[in-house]
Amino acid sequence: MSATERDPFILDRPTGRRLRARDAIVCVFVAVVLLALLEGRSIRRSGERMEPGLQRTVVLAVGRPAGWLADRLPLADGVHRATGWLSPDEQLSGGPGAFRTPPAGVDAATARAGGTAPITSESFDPAALGERPERLAKLGTLLVTGDSLAQPLDVELARRLASQGVRTVRDAHLGTGISKSDLVDWGQLSALQARERRPDAVVMFLGANEGFPLPGTGGRQVQCCGPAWAAQYATRARRMMETYRRRGAARVYWLTLPLPRDAPRQRIARSVNAAIAVAAQPFRAHVRVLDTATLFTPGGRYRAAMPVGGRATIVRRPDGIHLNDAGSRVAADVVVARLRGDFDSLR
Amino acid sequence: MVFPTIQFAVFFPIVLALSWALMARQHVWKPFMLAASYLFYSAASPKFCLLLAGVTLGNQAAAKLVHRTDDERRRRLIVGIAVALDLATLGVFKYYGFFAEEINAVLDEAGLGLPLPLAAIALPVGISFIVFQAISYTVDVHRRLLAPAPTIDVGLYLSFFPHLVAGPIVRAREFLPQLAGPRDPRKVAVGAGVALIVIGLVKKVAIADFLAREVVDPVFGVPQAYAAPDVALAAYAYAVQIFCDFSGYTDIAIGLALLMGYVFPQNFDRPYRAASFREFWRRWHMTLSRFLRDFLYIPLGGSRHGRLRQARNVMITMLLGGLWHGAAWGFVLWGAIHGGALVVENVFRGRISPPRWLKWLVVFHVVVLAWIPFRAPDLDLAGSFLARLVEPGPATLWSVPVVAVVVAVIGLQLLPARPMDALRVRFEGLHPAALGASMAAVIVLVAATVSSQGVPPFIYFQF
Repeated sequence: MSATERDPFILDRPTGRRLRARDAIVCVFVAVVLLALLEGRSIRRSGERMEPGLQRTVVLAVGRPAGWLADRLPLADGVHRATGWLSPDEQLSGGPGAFRTPPAGVDAATARAGGTAPITSESFDPAALGERPERLAKLGTLLVTGDSLAQPLDVELARRLASQGVRTVRDAHLGTGISKSDLVDWGQLSALQARERRPDAVVMFLGANEGFPLPGTGGRQVQCCGPAWAAQYATRARRMMETYRRRGAARVYWLTLPLPRDAPRQRIARSVNAAIAVAAQPFRAHVRVLDTATLFTPGGRYRAAMPVGGRATIVRRPDGIHLNDAGSRVAADVVVARLRGDFDSLR
Repeated sequence: MVFPTIQFAVFFPIVLALSWALMARQHVWKPFMLAASYLFYSAASPKFCLLLAGVTLGNQAAAKLVHRTDDERRRRLIVGIAVALDLATLGVFKYYGFFAEEINAVLDEAGLGLPLPLAAIALPVGISFIVFQAISYTVDVHRRLLAPAPTIDVGLYLSFFPHLVAGPIVRAREFLPQLAGPRDPRKVAVGAGVALIVIGLVKKVAIADFLAREVVDPVFGVPQAYAAPDVALAAYAYAVQIFCDFSGYTDIAIGLALLMGYVFPQNFDRPYRAASFREFWRRWHMTLSRFLRDFLYIPLGGSRHGRLRQARNVMITMLLGGLWHGAAWGFVLWGAIHGGALVVENVFRGRISPPRWLKWLVVFHVVVLAWIPFRAPDLDLAGSFLARLVEPGPATLWSVPVVAVVVAVIGLQLLPARPMDALRVRFEGLHPAALGASMAAVIVLVAATVSSQGVPPFIYFQF
């Protein structure tokens, strides 16, 4: 007995005229050809952003010729002009403030050095010297940003601080990284965030997508994860810290990476964490490096669960990279404690 | 692999063309389609393919054993073991972490230091759908509604990529007969398939993701930061988002299958026009309702033993239906609200007859309210969300596009279906090249609305 007879209400026979299988293939291939012509560049760009592997190879096998074709035809530009108003994004790669563009008034060499000058008092966290830290009166706007690591930490912080009059701006950019500027250039994005949001404090949790080659001196690419790569990474991170701290008007809370489960990713995370520590050195008065690496992975050993409130609790997601809700609550405890130390309004 | 991605746009045309090229040679077509479906599934994680293969082979072995056995007690034992193993698979991957933490909390309170070991277990994509379909095969063989199919057919039934990760829950006896021979290449519902794909893309990318970004995610994330106007808008917007997200996926799945010559059951039929909860469940996630009815509610006794037993059976079915969505108390509460509403409705059926518009108003708003614990990350936040519904304050998220989309999606469901169907039939009648061009135009427009974060996964992927 067929299902149609047994379940008359549920099996919905398709309406409309029936065509040949060849027509189905024609229809789909017309769509594919048009999309290649109109969106060839996007396909190529998407492929270039993907992690190495079969999917990337296949997408690039289509995207490169499609992009080549789109580059030579005026169609793609026309379509993007016509549909640009629908996009929810700002242009965040390669514009003013981008890593490849030195900050205004700074030459390239200085920019590569992060604009650092001789060591100043800003290099010291007063608390580390036994002094009373310079406190800010009110935490009005808190920016929580980064990549996927910043979620759900951003929501957790927003919930905890909502009752204290803090406006939390959550601005996570998934799949992005400091060493991965083609999608989002964090130099440009940090400048935009600081200018538009004017946050009193910035919580940064970024680094799940790092490990890409960085341009070094002389234009050559520096591969992850040795000292040369860490130095380039630190230079970029330092520039972001400088932007976010707004000459001391804001405080920056930069979380180190809890070590991931996989060994190749651990290597990247160690390099990133070392770079963050070095990057923050000139701004210790305003930039706090919060060591979540030691908190979640003491002794450099990955663990999915840890004691929380005296009870073993899973704190990592199954991917072995991100914190889960419970882990984010632990990280939020650390952030809020440091915020309380810096802002009178949270006391 | 997610449908609205470049990877899938590369994958599908190749598979479609090869599928029709090989269709007449079924001994080649079936291994090819099986390999393509496993490739599709492996995009999430190749390890999950082993689980899929294990579920397939386990249920096939059970179905063959059941079919060979005449002794009813043995047959029942075999099917019982198979279903128990299926549910155990679901339990380990989907519920272990949740229950281990809950049980450990209770043991801790009682001072019994014997905690269950904790493990962060990855949830295989679509595991709930795969397991339910596997159960439907084995049980239907046990009920003698179906003879065991060749192993490769069962493998294809469970892995066929259009329905693999988020349904619809296709019953074995709906799909396996379609694998008995090649599909007729002269009778392909191309127009209907393309129309469904286009509608599904618009629903998912242009509506569901837009509402999530603009209203739902901000408010459900931190309800404390918003007042009643925004919180109310978020509640309605989520009702629209989850409908467009899930029915959008289903539309695309059904449309892809049609282009390949296969028919899936309908999964949604304008659910927000329902004027009773019974009607709602005949319009919302119809294949799940049907599964729960046939494999849980009726075996429990259905409505056969009086109102009290019926109420018990309804509550068990809806609570487990809620839990099927995930290991969280919010889903259980969602099931309890719907179960309770169905019970109350049964009690009053025939005793009072309010006008249809009033019944619609009540049902719609209970459904919207029930979505709050379903969406909220935990019950505390669901409580905060409800508390903020009566907190006066400014409307900061109300905008013309958001309100227009919410009103349009709900309003279109209240209108008669005929004008929309007529429009669809006219679209379906276009020349194949025009259909392809229309599809490309819609994809370009829809792609322009995607943020740099890409297309978020379908909500039902996590279930």
